[in-house]
Amino acid sequence: MKQPFLVSDKWYDIRDLSNLSNEILHQVDRALPGEAAYILSPLLGFVFVFLLFVLPTQLYLGVLGERKIIGRMQSRYGPNRTGKFGVLQPIADAAKLLTKEALTPRYADKTIMYLAPVLFVMPAVMVWAVIPFGPEMIIADIPNSLVYYLAVSSVPTLVIFMGGWSHNNKYSLFGAIRIVAMGVSYEVPLVMALLGVVVMTGSLSLNGIVFWQDAFDIWLVALQPLAFAIFFICVSAELNRTPVDIAEAESELGSGYLTEYSGMKWGLFYGMDIAYALAASALGATIFFGGWSFFGLQDWVPSWLFFIGKLYAFYFLFIWTRGTLPRLRIDQLMAFCWKYLFPLALFNLFIVATERVIWTDGLDGEKGFVYIFAAANILATIVLVVTWARFLGYRPENQTTKPRLVNEAGGYVPVTPASGEGR
Amino acid sequence: MSTIQGEPFIINIGPQHPSTHGVFRIKATVDGERVIDAEMVMGYLHRSMEKLAEERTYTQNIPFTDRTDYLSSMSNNLGYVLAVEKLAGIDVPDRGQAIRVIMAEFQRLASHCMAVGAFTNDTGAWQTPIMWCFREREKVLDLFEMTSGARLTCNYMRIGGVAFDLPKGFEEAARKTLAGFPQLIDELDAMLSGNEIFLARTKGVGVLTPEMATNASLTGPMLRGSGIAWDIRKADPYCGYEQYDFQIPIGYNGDSYDRFSVRLEEMRQSVKIIQQALDRLPGGPHSTQVPLALRPPKGEAYARVEGPRGELGYYLVSDEGPSPFRFHIRPPSFINLSALKEMTVGGTVADAIVVLGSIDIVVGEIDR
Amino acid sequence: MDGAGPTLAFWALSAVTLVAAGGVLVSRNLLHAVLFLILSFVGIAGFFLLLSAEFLAMAQVVIYVGAIAVLVLFAVLLTPAVGRDNGETRFIAPALLLSVALAAVFIFVIHDTTWNTVDEDPRATVESLGTALLGRWVLPFEIASVLLTAALVGAIMLVRSPEEEAEDGLA
Repeated sequence: MKQPFLVSDKWYDIRDLSNLSNEILHQVDRALPGEAAYILSPLLGFVFVFLLFVLPTQLYLGVLGERKIIGRMQSRYGPNRTGKFGVLQPIADAAKLLTKEALTPRYADKTIMYLAPVLFVMPAVMVWAVIPFGPEMIIADIPNSLVYYLAVSSVPTLVIFMGGWSHNNKYSLFGAIRIVAMGVSYEVPLVMALLGVVVMTGSLSLNGIVFWQDAFDIWLVALQPLAFAIFFICVSAELNRTPVDIAEAESELGSGYLTEYSGMKWGLFYGMDIAYALAASALGATIFFGGWSFFGLQDWVPSWLFFIGKLYAFYFLFIWTRGTLPRLRIDQLMAFCWKYLFPLALFNLFIVATERVIWTDGLDGEKGFVYIFAAANILATIVLVVTWARFLGYRPENQTTKPRLVNEAGGYVPVTPASGEGR
Repeated sequence: MSTIQGEPFIINIGPQHPSTHGVFRIKATVDGERVIDAEMVMGYLHRSMEKLAEERTYTQNIPFTDRTDYLSSMSNNLGYVLAVEKLAGIDVPDRGQAIRVIMAEFQRLASHCMAVGAFTNDTGAWQTPIMWCFREREKVLDLFEMTSGARLTCNYMRIGGVAFDLPKGFEEAARKTLAGFPQLIDELDAMLSGNEIFLARTKGVGVLTPEMATNASLTGPMLRGSGIAWDIRKADPYCGYEQYDFQIPIGYNGDSYDRFSVRLEEMRQSVKIIQQALDRLPGGPHSTQVPLALRPPKGEAYARVEGPRGELGYYLVSDEGPSPFRFHIRPPSFINLSALKEMTVGGTVADAIVVLGSIDIVVGEIDR
Repeated sequence: MDGAGPTLAFWALSAVTLVAAGGVLVSRNLLHAVLFLILSFVGIAGFFLLLSAEFLAMAQVVIYVGAIAVLVLFAVLLTPAVGRDNGETRFIAPALLLSVALAAVFIFVIHDTTWNTVDEDPRATVESLGTALLGRWVLPFEIASVLLTAALVGAIMLVRSPEEEAEDGLA
């Protein structure tokens, strides 16, 4: 990657932090004998990524930001007592959780119950390995990083099941069964939607997808709005965020699989839930919003700033839906997945594949046609969604939402076609 | 071909559960997610109020009524003092009547805020609508604090009128509070009434046919949601409700959504009533003098008001003693709850929670 | 494969996989057995990784850990006798006999075969995999998909209630 003006590959060029880490690695290699540096480098990477990025951003901006923003949405202040503007609240939370007694039910399967929160943390850290923060700033630039992400992120479902089952509690079991059913179902449209992206860009590497978006000066959200919508819904479902948080379902199951967890075991689940949401935001920002690229501006301003900005913008979407939407019922959720999202995802894949074939075989990969495809896809998405809602979906504007008004008390007032709805 | 049959098992929804609104338990037998049997277990909050009231004078009993339905103490005060006044034949001056109407309607607003908010919480709208409702409810409670000194258990009504006259600046504050309500109701309407997820969760869930509703002798929004126009304020006016211009909202199918929308509309009507009452607030005394040790003549009386949850009745028997010989409450929550089983069986566990939320129970009133 | 790292990884993975596989056999709790099975799947994925087949390793995790294991969990949960655990039955003697015989055959085959070893790195990229699947091996690939569809339809037919069948006029 060519960087304009001033320095380019010196370690103090903060536009690309990989220079700095390379420098550190070289110094360490010179200082230590043999291959010690290569054993050390993953540890260093872990320290850098987890301790310097995931932990502060997640436990700080994640917890605090979510609570603050949701507080504002609910016309209250959110935490504002601990420190100035409540900035110390996450620390206070953590201190509280650490000092709290972690109860274990007598008939619980103790091994699995203790194992689950620990196993839940591992994938949350591992997924960050393939997220590109900049053209060179990626811990493991493997060619199939998208598949890697999907593979690692399919593990938490299982871990949640372990946690829910081990308590020997009916509510937890309900939550566990729900998450398993939902996780398996929503993985299908999610992968289908991402497959469309892969077909279009011809790359399974997250960095490759960003490079493609940079080269064609278009974000994939414009090129594949349908895939983005499916991705967002499926990821919300996998992450247990509110419109689809049936596994936790505070008001129904009293927190579902988390019912019996307390203390830091609960805290790990809570914190890592936010870590997964951030990781999913990172994936979404990378795939659909151009990742670290910003129409050439990333050569001048540090690219990781763009990336982190996009990440939090995406995360804000999650917070927003959480603050506004009620929860679906499990049967409605499954029906939505299999009857709506899955066919739509297949349709999206079909469209994208057709476009790709036309583009490469008929038009020799001309750059300008991408924009035509984008316009066509946006149009197609609008038409599809509107027609779907018109003919197959629920039509809120046809539902009477206001009750009838009568002036006098009396008996039953029959519903006439004029006064009421036919359902 | 044989069908695969799940093994039914029992889950206890409650007594400690975020959605039972107190200590109440549904012993639900479920087959997978489907509820095939439901049994209500109550009595966790029994305080033997009806018996205790027989040991205290008529005036001393007023604070008890605060504590039955702690979300609508004003209405409870009102129902009780109406019964005593009926028993003893006491008249209330016009100003007292008007203040009672204002307070009762404000109480309805506050209580419906809680009902609607808790109901949306039960459908899974994570805390947002309830917080909006609380924002307005707090203002109503501020008004109560201004007049009676207490926010929740007001103990404001007295036999023969109300405890104190309205404080200075009440009218202005009341109008300011009222101005916030249409906005809140519109906000809730915009956020929930057209929301597909909310409609999918509540429409057709917990359907009560008009026959079921009348057979279970339900009252209040539960009954009106099923399309039956019945409101004590219209059918058997008290406190001069016949002077005010308002309408009864009624639903279509008797499902959870109808009960929700009826409550929202009732809030609009309450705002209308309070505005009329404030506009023509009469002067004069707020209360008639009644001896503290009241000894009503031998007899019995039943007075009913339209509380936020339905018909709230007080039945009193006097043996000419200083305390009632028999004191009985007809709690609307308790009787409305009797239809719970019919509404939940056949639905899923998630539906049961929504149905319970739509009944709007207050456990203090159920168990007394 | 040279250097200390891969060798170390190989032995560690072998230990994990074998111990997990043993755990499947000896654990009395059915759910523990399933979890051990998943651990051994993960171990196998690690072997794929060691053999430079990253895509296969990830596919192994996605499919076996993410999907199939979860389905196995479901099956175990829905088994009516799950509470009885992994008890001893009268099949234990024939089962032991069969497994010993199978192990003997496997060991014989592994020992007796002259294995092809390649010296250069067999780069199995996704592209080459895809081309192979949809080119040379397209027939088995399609047959597998038809088989899976048939299984899916069969499973749906099994759990349909008589009322639903009456509705469709199938009964």
